[in-house]
Amino acid sequence: MALIEVRDLVKKFGDQVILNGVNLDIYEGDLKVVMGSSGSGKSTLLRCLNRLEEPTGGKIVFRGENIMAADVDVRALRQSIGFVFQQFALYRHLSVLENVTLALRKLKKLPAAEAKDKALAELERLNMASHAGKYPSQLSGGQKQRVAIARALAMDPAVVFFDEPTSALDPLMTREVADMMNRLHDEGVTMLCVTHDLKLAGQISDKVVFLDKGVVRAEASIETLSQDHADERIRAFFGREADY
Amino acid sequence: MSFLDIVIQLGRGLGYTLLVTLCCSVTGVLAGLVIACIRRIGFYWLRPLLDAYAYIFRGIPVLVLLFIVYFGFPSIGLKVTPLLAMVLSLGLISAAYLSEVFRGALNSVDADEILAAEAIGLSRLQVFNCIELPQMLRFSLPGMINEFTTVLKYSPFAYTVGIPEITKQAMTLSAVTLHGVEIYFAVGVLYFLTFRILLFAVQFIEKRYRIPGLVLKQRSSI
Ligand SMILES: Nc1ncnc2c1ncn2[C@@H]1O[C@H](COP(=O)(O)OP(=O)(O)OP(=O)(O)O)[C@@H](O)[C@H]1O
Ligand SMILES: [Mg+2]
Repeated sequence: MALIEVRDLVKKFGDQVILNGVNLDIYEGDLKVVMGSSGSGKSTLLRCLNRLEEPTGGKIVFRGENIMAADVDVRALRQSIGFVFQQFALYRHLSVLENVTLALRKLKKLPAAEAKDKALAELERLNMASHAGKYPSQLSGGQKQRVAIARALAMDPAVVFFDEPTSALDPLMTREVADMMNRLHDEGVTMLCVTHDLKLAGQISDKVVFLDKGVVRAEASIETLSQDHADERIRAFFGREADY
Repeated sequence: MSFLDIVIQLGRGLGYTLLVTLCCSVTGVLAGLVIACIRRIGFYWLRPLLDAYAYIFRGIPVLVLLFIVYFGFPSIGLKVTPLLAMVLSLGLISAAYLSEVFRGALNSVDADEILAAEAIGLSRLQVFNCIELPQMLRFSLPGMINEFTTVLKYSPFAYTVGIPEITKQAMTLSAVTLHGVEIYFAVGVLYFLTFRILLFAVQFIEKRYRIPGLVLKQRSSI
């Protein structure tokens, strides 16, 4: 059974249809990459999955439970889904360590010392423990993103969502984050990453899902999509850059 | 009247000035905070009322409101003490201005940070307490200093309702001693020193709570 099953997911803003019947399965241990052009609804898809947006129709099953039911505990759901944002979204008034401990203390109700140990362990895993006392504005982009990943992982989520995790980063830092995601994949962390960054996609996954006009249009390797796919638009999208 | 008498009388006046300024400022900050917080977290039906309050109270001269409260309220059976009259006029006008300062500061909290906090499962109230409030208080410090200065400068109105604050003492003293220029000069210096001491304290607080590495746009001319 898939960890997350998305069936015929529909999302409209007013009468603008953004998602028009998306089907997607995410299995435990997957590093699933969803690609699509700007405005194709990638962020909206992720936000529907943890109910930051209310889906208009369809079905989302998470660990066997229909999370679109009215009586679902949305905050509990969100605690089991890590979320990493494009612009890092670190709390700027808190130190790196406090960024990671906040949810541990407020949601998991860990005592201060325990939260600190757990946070330092996660930061260590992302090679950021030596920066624990710094503040977000004292970090490079790649470092910020690694703190954001540590913050998400500290909650021991069942899956981590990445929304364009590298589009605010230069190629070197992109590499840094991609390496980290590959390592987490090896460690068995389940991840769902949406991006239009071909470089990143090529670095972290052999296969990608292509989202277009509100539906999943294809799932294949980037080479196949860029060279052999029947649809010229898809070939064009994946043939943009050859240097990943 | 000896020099010492003059100093004592001015000192007593300064005490009243500080009392009025402190009461009105604290009222302004607390009421302004409550208004900004309510407007932010919900209670949507209260919003038009709060907006009307901020809109109207920023347009009424302090002295007019003070007279309405102090001389007008007794005619409808509400007798207020002079200090309470100051709080209900200057304090509440200050609250109206500060609620706007706080609103602006809340708007400069990064929406992504709020989204990230919600995405991890924090409740609306937790997000407000842990993310929005601490940042907002830092961002609004310059605005709060401005407002405190304004309250200090309006505090002489207190003498019109019988509070013998420093300007009133100076008027009496200068009539008695005929050294008006010197006395008013001394009063000016005392106001100035009060302001500098306050500024010093605020700068201390600002340093203590400054977010390392963060450079914010200068929001105030002070
Ligand atoms: N809250 C909203 N209200 C109305 N329209 C919205 C809202 N959020 C997103 N949209 C619209 O939905 C569409 C998809 O947005 P979304 O952010 O999901 O795209 P995206 O694929 O993530 O794009 P990008 O690559 O630029 O991040 C856009 O046309 C956008 O204008
Ligand atoms: Mg997006």
